[in-house]
Amino acid sequence: MKFILNYIRKEEWSPYVAGILLGVVGVLAVLLSNSLLGASGAFENIAGLIGKAVAPQAFDNMYFNFIMPPGITWGVILLVGVFFGGMLGAFSSGTFKWRLVSDDQWKKVFGPQVWKRWVLAFLGAIVLEYGAGIAGGCTSGLAISGGMLLAPAAFLFIGGMFASGILTAMVVYRKGY
Amino acid sequence: MSNYLIAGFLGVFFGFSLNKAGLTKYHKIVDVFRFTDMAVLKFMMTALVVAMIGLYGLRGLGLIVFPSVPSTYIVGNVIGGLIFGIGMALTGY
Repeated sequence: MKFILNYIRKEEWSPYVAGILLGVVGVLAVLLSNSLLGASGAFENIAGLIGKAVAPQAFDNMYFNFIMPPGITWGVILLVGVFFGGMLGAFSSGTFKWRLVSDDQWKKVFGPQVWKRWVLAFLGAIVLEYGAGIAGGCTSGLAISGGMLLAPAAFLFIGGMFASGILTAMVVYRKGY
Repeated sequence: MSNYLIAGFLGVFFGFSLNKAGLTKYHKIVDVFRFTDMAVLKFMMTALVVAMIGLYGLRGLGLIVFPSVPSTYIVGNVIGGLIFGIGMALTGY
């Protein structure tokens, strides 16, 4: 028992143990609410909700009417849970801290400027979400949730994601790659 | 309503597992693309295998029906993945 409690408090688990936990969560999502885990879709649901309120004409299209209907969906609530779950994880290991630039490796590569991290995070996230929109999901919604149902789409997506991710990392890190 | 409670509950465990695997950190995500830390793949593939066994087992027992499987449209999936990877490697999300 003590061993388990100590393990929960560890900052970093073996990725295999954490992966088992996520796998069980993925099964429970289907078993309990016949839903698939996902993250990017929830942002689109919220974006649609805001868009329909602010500029209803611009958002009156195929995508937001049928493919990603706006609303507080199952995925949105899941995402709220993810936020607090991540926080809980940080609290459990005592590593919770407010930071403007969170990662030392980032500082080494891009410099210590805060604005750079925030601007790149914002622009990068737009690229990321756009890609997820085209592909029909993100790492969780398509790669993991689709993969566990053996959807070919998931493996095509993982292939594309790694191909361009590796290339981008090569460009960013150049000699340090 | 109970569906929302389940979503929130599962979300907490989802976020918890991401945090404990270290995937909430920039360097973990980028390092998988540099082949210096394969935690992302280990985490993803373990989750995939566990969930596959669970889901196909439960379906075999007739306890669940699969939800609609993400649709495959080869060009879209690949191009989306290519764009997604750029954002992922830049931001570490």
